[in-house]
Amino acid sequence: MNGILQSVLAPHGPQAGQIATLAWALFAFGSLVLGLVIAAIWLAMRGAPRIREVLARERTIILLGLALPVAALTILLACGAWLTRAQTGHADEALRIEVTGQQWWWRVVYDGPAPIVSSNEIRIPVGQPVDFTLKAADVIHSFWVPSLGGKIDMIPGRTTRLRLTAERAGVYRGQCAEYCGGPHALMSFKLIAMPRHEYDAWLERLAGPQSAPSTDNEQRGQLLFLAAGCGTCHAVRGTDAAGKIGPDLTHFASRGSVGIDTLPLTAENLDRFIRDGQHIKPGNRMPEFRIFSSAEQTALVSYLMSLQ
Amino acid sequence: MRIDPPVRIRFILLAALAALFLGSLFVWSGVYSVAASRGHFAVTEWLLTFGMRNSVKTHALGIDAPPLDNSDLVTLGAAHFQSGCAYCHGAPGIPISPIAQAMLPPPPDLATNMPPWRDRELFWIIKHGIKYTAMPAWPVQQRDDEVWALVAFLRRLPSLDAAQYRDLALGGLRVPPQSGESLATSETTARAIGACARCHGAGGARPASSLVPVLHGQRAEFIVASLEAFTSAQRASGIMQPVARALTGDDFRRVADYYAALQAPHAPEEPTDTSAIERGRDLAEQGDPDARIPACAGCHGEDALKTYPRLAGQNLPYMLNRLRLWKRGLAPGTATETIMAPIARELSERQIEDVAAYYASGGPSAGASR
Amino acid sequence: MNEPVPALLAGHPNKLPRPKGELEALQAAWELPKSWRIVTSVNNTVVGYFYVAAAVLFFLLAGILALLMRLQLAVPSNTFLSPETYNQIFTMHGTVMMFLFAVPVVEAMGILLLPQMLGARDLPFPRLGAFAFWAYFVGGIIFFGTLFYDLAPSGGWFMYPPLTGAQYSPGLGADFWLLGIGFIEISAIAGAIELIVGVLRTRAPGMTLDRMPIFAWTMLVFAGMIVFAFPAVILATLLLELERAFGWPFFVPQKGGDALLWQHLFWFFGHPEVYIIFLPAAGMVSMIVPTMSRTPLVGYRLIVVALIATGFFSFGLWVHHMFATGIPALSLNLFSAASMAVALPSGIQVFAWIATIAAGRLQLTTASLFVLGFLFVFTLGGLTGVMVAMVPFDWQAHDTYFVVAHFHYVLVGGMLFPMFGAFYYWAPAFSRRVLSERFGKAAFSLMFIGFNVAFFPMHITGLMGMPRRVYTYPAVAEWSVLNMISTIGAFLFASGVLVFLFDLVRNLRPTVSDPIGDVWKGASLEWLHNHIYGPRSIPLVTSRDPLWDQPGLSEESKEGRHYLPGTVTGQRETIITSPIEAMPQALQRLPGDGWPPLLAAVFTAGFFMLLTVKYVTLAFVSGVLALAMILIWMWGSDQRPLPHAEIGHGIKVPTYVGGPLSHSWWAMVVLMLVAGSLYLSLVFSYLFLWTVSPQVWPKPEQMPPSLWPFVSAVLLTASSGLIVLAGRALPVRSRNRIAFVAAIGLAVLSLCGSLGVEVLSHWRAGFRPDVDAHGALVYMASFLQLQFVLTLVVMAGFAIARCLAGMLSRRRRVVFGNLALLWHYTVAQGLFGLLLVHGFPRVA
Repeated sequence: MNGILQSVLAPHGPQAGQIATLAWALFAFGSLVLGLVIAAIWLAMRGAPRIREVLARERTIILLGLALPVAALTILLACGAWLTRAQTGHADEALRIEVTGQQWWWRVVYDGPAPIVSSNEIRIPVGQPVDFTLKAADVIHSFWVPSLGGKIDMIPGRTTRLRLTAERAGVYRGQCAEYCGGPHALMSFKLIAMPRHEYDAWLERLAGPQSAPSTDNEQRGQLLFLAAGCGTCHAVRGTDAAGKIGPDLTHFASRGSVGIDTLPLTAENLDRFIRDGQHIKPGNRMPEFRIFSSAEQTALVSYLMSLQ
Repeated sequence: MRIDPPVRIRFILLAALAALFLGSLFVWSGVYSVAASRGHFAVTEWLLTFGMRNSVKTHALGIDAPPLDNSDLVTLGAAHFQSGCAYCHGAPGIPISPIAQAMLPPPPDLATNMPPWRDRELFWIIKHGIKYTAMPAWPVQQRDDEVWALVAFLRRLPSLDAAQYRDLALGGLRVPPQSGESLATSETTARAIGACARCHGAGGARPASSLVPVLHGQRAEFIVASLEAFTSAQRASGIMQPVARALTGDDFRRVADYYAALQAPHAPEEPTDTSAIERGRDLAEQGDPDARIPACAGCHGEDALKTYPRLAGQNLPYMLNRLRLWKRGLAPGTATETIMAPIARELSERQIEDVAAYYASGGPSAGASR
Repeated sequence: MNEPVPALLAGHPNKLPRPKGELEALQAAWELPKSWRIVTSVNNTVVGYFYVAAAVLFFLLAGILALLMRLQLAVPSNTFLSPETYNQIFTMHGTVMMFLFAVPVVEAMGILLLPQMLGARDLPFPRLGAFAFWAYFVGGIIFFGTLFYDLAPSGGWFMYPPLTGAQYSPGLGADFWLLGIGFIEISAIAGAIELIVGVLRTRAPGMTLDRMPIFAWTMLVFAGMIVFAFPAVILATLLLELERAFGWPFFVPQKGGDALLWQHLFWFFGHPEVYIIFLPAAGMVSMIVPTMSRTPLVGYRLIVVALIATGFFSFGLWVHHMFATGIPALSLNLFSAASMAVALPSGIQVFAWIATIAAGRLQLTTASLFVLGFLFVFTLGGLTGVMVAMVPFDWQAHDTYFVVAHFHYVLVGGMLFPMFGAFYYWAPAFSRRVLSERFGKAAFSLMFIGFNVAFFPMHITGLMGMPRRVYTYPAVAEWSVLNMISTIGAFLFASGVLVFLFDLVRNLRPTVSDPIGDVWKGASLEWLHNHIYGPRSIPLVTSRDPLWDQPGLSEESKEGRHYLPGTVTGQRETIITSPIEAMPQALQRLPGDGWPPLLAAVFTAGFFMLLTVKYVTLAFVSGVLALAMILIWMWGSDQRPLPHAEIGHGIKVPTYVGGPLSHSWWAMVVLMLVAGSLYLSLVFSYLFLWTVSPQVWPKPEQMPPSLWPFVSAVLLTASSGLIVLAGRALPVRSRNRIAFVAAIGLAVLSLCGSLGVEVLSHWRAGFRPDVDAHGALVYMASFLQLQFVLTLVVMAGFAIARCLAGMLSRRRRVVFGNLALLWHYTVAQGLFGLLLVHGFPRVA
């Protein structure tokens, strides 16, 4: 799928795997029943008189329309109940990540002795169950990574939980599944599963301080970043920018996208998003900043791109 | 005496066609004179006036007038009347220009003969203008607040004598008597500053109307950017756009430097609601992250970009008006408005009042002294 | 079972010839208004035409919206529609299809078909039917018009708060949805009351419940479900509108509200809604299949049981729309089971139709083709329904295109195809020409193929991970291909609808006097020789398939040899029969045509819409005018008692009845059921929010002192007592009215007093509606009570006026009877409310 994994039928984890198996079983069941009904209609119209006479009995109606479905549905129900239990069970050794849905981005907090704040991109180690704690800051959202498992709504005032496990390393696309207004269609994110040791190294780097800008241009960019008020919404750890309204930009350049998974992260796309964000992601909450001269804009972008 | 219906219908149709043809012929021939010097027939005159009056009355029906007995509104309206209206409509002590008098219909002399319109009707006329007369529409259709200022002034106008009018419209400014030579040979250079000071004050004087922003001590970059935005009609104001257009690019910089160098004038002592100011301070310094409102200080503080305005000591009614305009949906036109408008839209009415009170009371500087 | 009731058979059929002038008098009584004044007609056939036409219009409009969406989604990252426009369009598509097409068109078919099918001259409340139609039509047009002014709602047809709250949906769009749809639902309830009383009380003599056509059964269940389901969403819209307008925090978690409350209320309506739409369509299939197979329906009783079971089960599975909200596993499994159980009655029906086909020989007419298409599509939709009823599967499929595919299979398959089949099947009963079989089959083929091409791929799109309600999607190869196929299918489907429209224009010639009639050789009474007044004489029914089992019935009825072959009183009339056995009980005089229902509807719509755009004064002027129109219309009902009337065969029935014998008593009882459901929804909301946020509930010592509710309760009870006394004091003749007027007056005072005391007690206790959820609910209870009190005040004034005008007496007492019924109900509701609001926090 063009390098994007977002399919229920291509499971990469045990939770999604169980559901995919169930789905195939249900398709088989459904095809069988549909075939039965079509055959019955055909026989009722064109069948031999003896068959039609049987079909026309009330007892047949009860058998085919009631008894058979009762048996089939009881079996299905039992499977469903078992699977529901299997999917909602919890173990202790799971990793915990808190994700808060907001119009129209994701705040991500990695649980630990000192919680680590990030946004719009989630990384998990391969093979380890992860418990997601899900919240909503404004309206209802829904957290869904099809290749790894089912979805659970994020509801203001409530906390929901979801356990996912990635069995293979890869980039899985997740998307908000509950209509949340405006650019709901563009509220997606990437979930990156990586080998344990890589994950640990990455997390350590994420927890670390943001390196200071090195070149002149980057330093000028940082000054502009602060003077233009970017820091009232965005935070960059270690600077005066400590806003909580928009995504945390610490280590921003190590993420893969700009505009909450709308465009791949390049200097050019970043530049476009700052000036023209309402065209790229109509309705998003960040005002367009067209106040900079082109030199200023370049400086600002190079500063942001230096936030490795 | 029964007429066969089809015959009657055919007759009417033919008559209509004939009338249409003759009418076209008349227009095409150019026999009719469009001269303004000729005037209308009395009956035409009556019909046009009658139609105009009723049109205004009907269209103004759904408009609710705000309270107009407000000296800020009157003063602002007066200043604009002087530059935008007096040429045609006259003013106490200022006769109508003979050129304007030769229009058809001639504009009414509002100083002496104010027609008996209701507030809402005046508003409608000023906002939309009147077809087939020289009465123009308000240059910016989104700024009803400015139109109301003019209506407020027109309500005061009949009671003014020439001196009172001068005080109101010129903000107490005195134009020094000029020598015959300078009158004869040069343009007056004091004009630009004089035009600004009428509303915005100058030197140690605050703006005459508190609906007008204090420019003293603003960054020159901000003032220039604003003037450019008015000139290019990006920023919506029927009052400022014509004023800014009258200046040249060089004037912008000079005016801006002049105001930037001025000391902020002393704010008038007004009863203050300290709890509102404290709430405003919180909002200005911390924002309201739950409501997605960033801290004001991030962009309006001392360290911020020079193209952003400083708010400390700004006029309270001006800030309230501006924030409410955005909240009600005024479309942002400039680059900085594009940033501010969505934030203002998220503010509650209470927050608007609080934060405006905070900055009007002096903002961070006042907090330090308290 | 085919034994006729002996009492009815005596002297049957009538001797010929009928007296001279009888037919002319009947025709004169039922004469239609001329030319454009036809809009004042209240006759069920005329209103039915309007109703069906309007519903089809909204179907086409919402269909165009669907095509716009499919164009936008044809290719990835399309910019054909802006996100805001797309969001408005998908909201309107869902809302219009559900509220302005699906429910109304079914109700319309009921109003059009039922009287003829039941052998009635008209429905029992013709003006109510006309009011329901006009209210729906005017409200619907205004609502749809919001799209052109950028005022359309964009929160989805499900309108979940907090997205639709004042903070995240400023502007009027959501208000239009809430007030507009709330209003249209009231019209649907009016229609439902009409249909219930119509089915139960105006059947032809001898048509026992067991002989009633299945379509009438489905309409009965349909209307019954509306009565219980719609109040929940009406309450929900009220709550949300109050939150938006005045900040009563029902859905705000910080103040003790909960977003899930909306979902519970909405889906408690929303799920039965699906069956509300499906059952009547299934009823149509149960009529078409036997006719086209030339054999009686197999498993009639099984089907009736299945219908009732569906209606019952459908109220128990609303939570399956909320499987992904993180509710506990136990309730998940419970509702999963209920969701599967509801598939069973449908299974019975499907195999009953197959059995009927097997018992006869199915003619492959257009109507039959639509039925076969329905069987295939609906079965598939039902199977995917079973899939999404499996909780873990639903966690993946929920809110994806899989669900879009699923419910379009259920709704288009389960409702639209039968409806088109019904158009082809019943057109001869109402048109001078039949619709073209050639065009019909072309339309069916295009629609069937187009539908499957459009919607089958969506199952896959959804499982490939594409969520629904997205205005665009990234260029993922599989998604792009599947979406393009769906768009092509949608236009194929639309072309089928176009062919159908073309057929309508060419061949449909609606008439009220000389339809081409029984071309299919059907068995039910709508195939008699029908006019605007139904059959010339109302036949005695002795079988389920009267036209097959009672030879000569059609001719006998036409010659006036059955009941009521003319008009007894010179007015429009119909026979009121007993609800189960259908024994003639009374002759009901029906009102004639007139402006009040139309104007009342226009002004009621005006009231709601003007209120939405905040023209409060004009809104109230409009509201008062609407009330005036309703009062004018009511003044003409409850006509003077006349002597007993002979309706034929020597059977004499009263022309004036009160109490349970009267049709208005039945309507009032149904209305009380509606009111009861509304109040129970509020009780549910109260208890639900308490379980979520008990911390905002007051402690017992913070409650108002018990004296307050006690006084309120005493006043309530006293008012009920006074009404009983007023009933005793009803004047026998036109003197002695003072006692009655005084009793009613005092009753009004104490009723208003009780409400005043109740509100004051909460205010003094410091509760405020905009502070927390408890306060909001407490005042909400009084707000609901206030609506009843206001209604009763108007009705009391009306009763006093009737009494003073000498039009209310011990004999002519229906006006008072209705007042008393609603009064006692309101008192009971008030007492219950006191118990809940004052008692619960003390024990909880």
